[in-house]
Amino acid sequence: MSTPSLAPQIMKRPWLMRWMKPISNWYFENAGYRKLGLRADDLIPEESDQVQLALRRLSPKESYDRVYRMRRAFQLSLSHQLLPKEEWTKAEDDTPYLSPIIKEIEAELSEREDLESMIISKRKANN
Amino acid sequence: MLSRSAIGRQAQRAVLRAQQPVNRRGLAAPASGSFAYETGDAQGIKYAARDIPGAVASVALVAKAGTRYQSAPGLSQALSLYAFKNTERRSTLRIQRESELLGSALQAYHSRENFVVGAKFLRDDLPYFVELLAEVANLTKFQPHVVHEEIIPLLQFAEKKYLSNTLAMANNSSHGLAFHRGLGAPLELSGAIPLSKYITADTIAEFASSVYAKPSFSIVANGAQSAELNKWISEFFPDTAAQPTAQLTSEKSKYHGGEERIAHGGSNSLVISFPGSSAPTGSAYKPEAAVFAAILGGQSTIKWSPGFSLVANAAQDAPNLHVATKSHIYSDAGLVSIEFHGAASDIRNTAAKVVDTVKSVAQGFSSELFQKAKALAKFQQLEVGQEAQAGMELTGAGLVQGGKAFQIDEVAKAIDSVTEEQVKTFAKEALENKASVAAVGDLFVLPYAEEIGLRV
Repeated sequence: MSTPSLAPQIMKRPWLMRWMKPISNWYFENAGYRKLGLRADDLIPEESDQVQLALRRLSPKESYDRVYRMRRAFQLSLSHQLLPKEEWTKAEDDTPYLSPIIKEIEAELSEREDLESMIISKRKANN
Repeated sequence: MLSRSAIGRQAQRAVLRAQQPVNRRGLAAPASGSFAYETGDAQGIKYAARDIPGAVASVALVAKAGTRYQSAPGLSQALSLYAFKNTERRSTLRIQRESELLGSALQAYHSRENFVVGAKFLRDDLPYFVELLAEVANLTKFQPHVVHEEIIPLLQFAEKKYLSNTLAMANNSSHGLAFHRGLGAPLELSGAIPLSKYITADTIAEFASSVYAKPSFSIVANGAQSAELNKWISEFFPDTAAQPTAQLTSEKSKYHGGEERIAHGGSNSLVISFPGSSAPTGSAYKPEAAVFAAILGGQSTIKWSPGFSLVANAAQDAPNLHVATKSHIYSDAGLVSIEFHGAASDIRNTAAKVVDTVKSVAQGFSSELFQKAKALAKFQQLEVGQEAQAGMELTGAGLVQGGKAFQIDEVAKAIDSVTEEQVKTFAKEALENKASVAAVGDLFVLPYAEEIGLRV
């Protein structure tokens, strides 16, 4: 399930991007998940068919890393601790690895819907 | 008109083109009328077209990439399943829906030597389908998730189907015995192959880049004018690789022979093979193989009668037994196979009689029988060549492998020139060689090759 986002619109406008970037960085640093070693895409709710399918399409390495990050985060959460600062997720590592796949699946589904609801009229030439 | 959101650029173009036909011809108008293929070369791609009259046309891309040439087991089969999947421009679903809307049938299959991707469609839609083939050849996206979610399950189903068909298993086994590698590679995967090792998106993509290169394939069309086909190929195939990434090669076939017995609980099959003839476009062409196969026969062409063929008469005591003689023809070798499928005891009793029949053919036969067999062989060959489907595969294969298209008239002439003596010699040589005997089923009952009088 991909959530609506203003980011593409903001990234199209350099002046707005320059203005929003520090706010965005501040927000992500303070959101806390990076201190548990997670990535933003680890926070996407799993309870939908699309995300389940996307998770199956991850490469074995990515899938393993995801489970590792989650187990580490649970462990930290249970013991009320944060990772040592040098192990926090760095901004450059916090890349979307799951959301592109989810978007692809959603595009497939919406294409299917479009084709299902298509209205066909007989062409005139081949009669 | 079709709504814009629902149908893509290509389909819209095809529909528009259909509305303003360039050189449209009614059903009754005379075509060029020839059953011979016109061949040509469009930007390094060999093509053959014949303008047979009719509303339905077909076009196929025939590549030299059957199981004989694959670099790992199952690749040909996987690539044929991967045809018409996601491309850079269109999704699998859109390709299916668009071709449905235009009224057509897409097909992709492989044989021991050839790999065929093609379509049958209404005559006016030729440009759409040439473009589609170009897209399949040049722009298919080989994605790991498609392999996992679609290709591997389909391969597993195909495996199950194959493993329940003893006749297919016996045929594969006798090819394996006869040719070992190359032509002997099994046509379908059997359960014992580690799929995940050989079939991945990367291996399929690598194989595809060798298959979909200009020297590896040819394009054959039925119901299209040669000039028109040339024009569309030149327009849509310019990006095709000029050289394959890895040459698809196979050693020259050598006949070995032997015996294999496979236990199976389902049904019983026995296949006896002798070395045969190559394709007319190949080097070891022996037209007498077709006549020999017709003399032995087994399947009657008329109802309620065993017909004239010797094997059918030998098998008269076992009416529920399927017996047939087939001449399998490949580019540089061939097999004449006698196949039995039915109850194990029937096979045991009949096989010995059939082998005696083969021996009697080597001694001599009546000239009336010979005339009948010659006529039947000619009929069968011409029928295959004239039938669009098989004819296209043979033609394309001939173009890719020898630069010659399969021409029906030559085949007919070759069969006409066969003499009785040639057939006798052929039968003698077949018996002197080692046979390839494969038995699948109840091994307690099914005979060994020696028991029915064959050398292995």
